[in-house]
Order: sequence, then structure tokens, then C-alpha cells
Amino acid sequence: MGATTALLENEVRLLRRSPAVVIWSVVLPLAALLVMMAIPGARMSLPMLGGLSVLEAYQPTLVVFVATLLALQMMPMFLGSYRESGFLRRLRATPAHPANLLTAIVLMVLAVILAVGLLILFLPLVVGVGDPRPLALAALVLIACAITFLALGTFLASILPNPRVASGVGAAIAAVMWFFAGMWYPRAQFPDWLSNVADWTPGGAAATLLTNAAHGAELGWQPFVCLTAWTVVGLLVSVRTFRWE
Amino acid sequence: MSLVEVTGLRKSYGPKEVLSGIDLRVEAGEIVGILGPNGSGKTTTVECIGGLRAPDGGTISVDGIDPQANERALRKILGMQLQEARLPAKITAAEAIDLFASFYPDPEPTAVLLERLGVVTQRNERFENLSGGQQQRLSVALALVGRPRVAILDELTTGLDPAARREIWTYLGQLRDAGTTFLLVTHSMEEAQHLCDRVYILAGGRFVRSGSPQELSSAMGTQVMSFLPSSSVDLDLLRSVAGVHAAHADESRIVIDGDDTALQSVLSLLSARGVTISGLSITTPTLEDAYLAATRRVG
Repeated sequence: MGATTALLENEVRLLRRSPAVVIWSVVLPLAALLVMMAIPGARMSLPMLGGLSVLEAYQPTLVVFVATLLALQMMPMFLGSYRESGFLRRLRATPAHPANLLTAIVLMVLAVILAVGLLILFLPLVVGVGDPRPLALAALVLIACAITFLALGTFLASILPNPRVASGVGAAIAAVMWFFAGMWYPRAQFPDWLSNVADWTPGGAAATLLTNAAHGAELGWQPFVCLTAWTVVGLLVSVRTFRWE
Repeated sequence: MSLVEVTGLRKSYGPKEVLSGIDLRVEAGEIVGILGPNGSGKTTTVECIGGLRAPDGGTISVDGIDPQANERALRKILGMQLQEARLPAKITAAEAIDLFASFYPDPEPTAVLLERLGVVTQRNERFENLSGGQQQRLSVALALVGRPRVAILDELTTGLDPAARREIWTYLGQLRDAGTTFLLVTHSMEEAQHLCDRVYILAGGRFVRSGSPQELSSAMGTQVMSFLPSSSVDLDLLRSVAGVHAAHADESRIVIDGDDTALQSVLSLLSARGVTISGLSITTPTLEDAYLAATRRVG
């Protein structure tokens, strides 16, 4: 068994032993989705939401919630904790490089984002909400969004000094992403200037892409440019500044 | 060529020079200790040898491998126990050993390490719930799990109770007999005396003494004997005995500094003069005396 596989298995086991992470990133968003699915009014299309139902309007928001919580808060916290405790350095003294651990954590977070994200996108079909045909495209868009948030997560893990700061700063940035994804105020109600700002944030661009993809609307180039730019910035800074010790 | 060979190793942190060109050799199958005061550069030395720090100057070879040039090859033959490296809080002792075992082609079985390092009853305890001593033993297990040709152990028995220390020393001795070579950093003179074939004493950025613990303590020269004579003894007569360096009276006791031949000569002289002695006490120099003398001179 390769070092990355062994470390991935270990990280999954440790994640299962971290109930707070599982509750916040898996249980709560799925519970919110199920509650909305169960309320008939939440399944009716509303003009104030641009013709979407509350459930449909919140699907991309919930996906952004899961992706940002895991990639921007939890992942930098895990890596910061491993760096601070000397575990990354300890791994360096074995045939397994700490890069194996970074890879394992990124793969695990990506897998959880995709699994929960796909459930959020597909489960409403059970109550007749959504169109199954464009959902394959939505799944691809989900992968693109997850990669962007993971790149930003490694960026935060690179520049933040310890797990406590990483958790706080990550949570604050995630909350900003939730706002631009329409968590507290429907994006259809954003004034033009705010909508323009939101379009160039990873949260706003991800929500736009996921909404358009799920409803078979034209995706447009702008959100992809936005996500690509944030991904490149995140990766470049990470590669230059990430410290194993 | 020695298994570990260090020549002219230099390392500075900012303006502070920690190692000023040290030479060290470890032969295959030896246990070699590095002693020195806090901050003297012991950990820096072994971390340079272990490829975790880049030296500013000098050469290092571990089984012919330059740690900076071929770290991948080094990791296959070198096991390291680091100071202050903690494992994830929720990993259990057995899982940690299994995980590290998966990095090596022919690892020591986890059950053997748990048994030999005395953590078998804690095998399913999470790291966060282990005592400091148990965490330390697990840390030693992780350094040895890959059956390394060379193992570097930095303060391996710090925080362990005397029985646990003895068990680990016995295990390391057996591994040494089976061919493993050890480089230890230790503050424990007892550990160095008990375990090490040779020690290096590091102070002021240089090795100020090296040799077997026995050689270093013997080089201190005198042993001190004291006794109560049955009748008065002429101190000048005692001072003239071969091997005696000094003699004085401490109240009714006679105190003599001399080499290890002096005791027999003094006893013979007193016996010939009909003087018997009681309360004989002999203090021989220890490795700690040699260490303190060597480091005091520098510090």
C-alpha cells in the first residue's frame, strides 16, 4: 500500500472520530436540505427568487457552505495543527513525504465535498424538484468549484501561522462566501453593484455556475474565468509559501 | 569507512554559530551518545545528520549517503525519533505503528514493538490519552518500525520511569547486537554509561571530549578514599606512597586522593604498621564528573 493511500485511510478514520466536523459539514447541510424538501411552500417557484423555489435557490448555497467549511476552515486547521504539532516534520523523517499527507487530506476533503454536494444536487429529485438531465453537467461544475475552494484552502494553510488563526480566518472568509452565495439574502435580490462584486468572488461565481448548470441555463465564461483566476492565485501562493515546519 | 561520518560540520542560526566544525564517527553496530548542555547544538547535529537541517559547511555521510543530496535513499535506512513531534490526537498507538509500518518494505511487526516498548495494554488508546512516558515509548517504536540500519534517538528516555528505561535499554542493546547502529542524544549520564559504546561531549560548538564512558571517567584520574584509622597515622608517610596524590585529615577520618593503585599500597602500609581501618569509603570518578569538568571548562 502506498504512503498516500495509508495516510488517506488514516485521515478518513480520524475524520470519523471528529463529530463536530461531520455534523457541521455533512449532517447540518443535509438536514437543512431535507427540511426544505419536506415543506411544500419551499418547493414552489417564487418570482422574487427569479422563478426558482426556495429549495432550488438554496441548493447552490448549501453546496458552497459545505465546500467552504471543509476547504477554507477545516483543511487549513488540520494542516496548521499537523504543522504546529511537528507531525509534518515527523513524516519528513520517514520514506513518506509530508506532501503525501497534503495529498491525502486534499483528496479526502474533495471526496466529502463531492459526496455531500451531489446529494444536495440530486436528492430534491425525490420530491420532484429539479431536472435530472443537466445534473451531470452540474456535477462537473461542482468538481470545478471544489478545486477552486481547495486551492484557496491550501493558500490559507500556507499563510496562516497556526490552527487557531486558520480556523478563525477560514470561518470568516467562508461566511463571506456564504453571503455572496446568497445564504442570508437571495442573490436574485442583490442590487446590480453587489451582484457584480459577487460574480467575481469564488462563492458568488460557484453559486451562479451551479444554479445555471442545474437548470440547463447557459453557463457563460465569466464564472469560469473567476474560478480559474482564484485557483491559479491560490496554487501559486501555496507553492511559493507553504511550509512543512 | 565509518557508517556515519561527519567532518567539519558547521551550522549557524543568524549570527549565532551553534556548530563550529565538528567531526564525528559512528562505526556499524555501535551505540554512540552525544552529551552536552542545553542549547549546545546536540539536536542540530543529529538533525543535520538526519537530513532535516542543511549544514552551512562540512560533509556528512550515512552509509555513503549525503543526506542533503539523496534524502530518499537516506529515509530507507535511517529511523529518527524527534523531540517534540506529536501525533494526531485521535490516532491509537497500534494505528500509529501500523501507519508508519506501511511506509517501509519490511517493517517490524506492530505487536512486537508494542510488546517490547511496553505499550501493549495501551494499543487501542488514543495518542491524546497516553501519558507522556507512553507517548515517548510510542515515538521510539515509530523510529524503529522500519528496521533501520541506523537509528537516531533524540532524548529517548526523557520522562520514563526507571523500569521502562531499563526495558528500552535492554531492547536497544539487543537491536545493536543484531546489527542496528544507534546515535543517541541524551542528558542522562546513567543512560550514556549503561548504553553507549562511545560518547561525544559537545560544548561551545565543538566536541570537547570523546571516548568510551569508562575512558572519560578514568581520565578524571583520582579516586577518593576515606577511612577511620585505629591509631594515628603520619600523613606525610601516606603522601609518599606510590599512586597517592594528596592526603589530609578530616576530623578523625583520613582522606586520600589517588589513582586506582593507591588503595592497595595504602592498605599494605597500614597493615605493616599494625593499623587497622574502619568505615572505608571509596568514591570513583563518574562520567558525570568528566562531563561537568569538560563543559565547565568551556562554559
